[in-house]
Amino acid sequence: MKRSKPRLIAVDGIDAAALVAAAKKLLGAPGRGGISHWDASGVFQELDVAGPIAGAPGPRTLLLLYAADLAFRLRWEIRPALAEGRTVVAAPYVETAVAFGRAAGVPQGWLENLFRFAPRPHETCFVPRAAKRARGGIDGFVGFGCARLGGRPAGRTPKQIVACAAKELRRRAVSAPRRPAPSR
Amino acid sequence: MLHKNGFVIRDARRRARKHFTDPSRRRGLLVAFEGPDGSGKTTQRKLFKTWLRSEGYDVVTTKWNSSELIKPIIKSRKTVRALSPEEFSLLHGADFRHRVEQTILPALWDGKLVIADRFLFTGLARDVARGLDLDWVLKLYQPLLWPDMVFYFAVSPITSGKRVTATRLPNFYEAGQDVTHVEDPVESYQHFISRVIREYESLALIFNFITVDAEQSIGDQHRQIRELFLEGQRRPWSDWNLDAVADWLARTRPST
Repeated sequence: MKRSKPRLIAVDGIDAAALVAAAKKLLGAPGRGGISHWDASGVFQELDVAGPIAGAPGPRTLLLLYAADLAFRLRWEIRPALAEGRTVVAAPYVETAVAFGRAAGVPQGWLENLFRFAPRPHETCFVPRAAKRARGGIDGFVGFGCARLGGRPAGRTPKQIVACAAKELRRRAVSAPRRPAPSR
Repeated sequence: MLHKNGFVIRDARRRARKHFTDPSRRRGLLVAFEGPDGSGKTTQRKLFKTWLRSEGYDVVTTKWNSSELIKPIIKSRKTVRALSPEEFSLLHGADFRHRVEQTILPALWDGKLVIADRFLFTGLARDVARGLDLDWVLKLYQPLLWPDMVFYFAVSPITSGKRVTATRLPNFYEAGQDVTHVEDPVESYQHFISRVIREYESLALIFNFITVDAEQSIGDQHRQIRELFLEGQRRPWSDWNLDAVADWLARTRPST
């Protein structure tokens, strides 16, 4: 039997709902493979139930947790599917976390080292925020992170961090042109 | 927009240096106790803390894997043996970072003496013993916060094994069964702790730990720690810690 070519497609953006929609379109038929979602390990779900006495996490703490979740997704979802020759759409993957980190003042070098364990995707798709959601709150990692962050990283409010992360993703999409987002 | 961070960090560095080199206030001190399981660190930490309090120090203790935010996450995954070496490392790194920001730096800022029962070197020794790259793990802990003193409690793998297994069986991750794949926890512990001790010994040389012979009596060790602490406590603030403090100050506004 002919084995199909495995593909890892990264879908990055700050709007979780738009990421899922884009991931579904990119995957096409479900039989081709699967989508690996943020917080498959449940780390952030557990973090969410911690009381205020536990203290608000800083950006590096959140990013270390994101990386732990991504390591889990790679071990249980992404690598096994690729080994079977399937397509995996990772939504989000590394760039979303990097954009959040940069917006919160975390140095690029630290972020690059953090995600050194993650394999380079075959392609990366940057998803802009859905227009109808542009004025509302956001969910997913960036939304969660901004809601839980303690203090004002890099002197920015959560709203400014969201805007800055979106700007950073746009900049990265322009500087490294990859596959455009699928049309809605 | 990203340039704003540069100004914030520069200002934070200036504030940090000014605060920690101010001769009119008592400088916070960070003392770390490191060593393999069964080396008697906790006993010595308790004796040291009692003595410091009797000497008038305001003492704060922080233990490895103890943050209220991350500890439950690690515990639940350890229970079901669900952690890979990378996840193990990253989650402990997150726990450490959270304690640095929530406990250690605020206490140092307030001029307190912080005793860390295990510090980032525990993460380095264990993670490298699990086969991870030292450079990758070390950078996870950046910006690095260097203790004023690191006491390393040196014991042989045999002594560590005897002390740990005297009253109980080591647990799955403590015994390193996730990487040794040895079914017997005692046998696995012996293999794993030998690797951990080898890493600790390298770190002790690289980072200039103060080595305490933990095969000595409890009293002798305690006396040695007191003497070494009194010799070293007046060392000046190190600019090596500027990045770590500035990173924290850039998002918090502690009282001056």
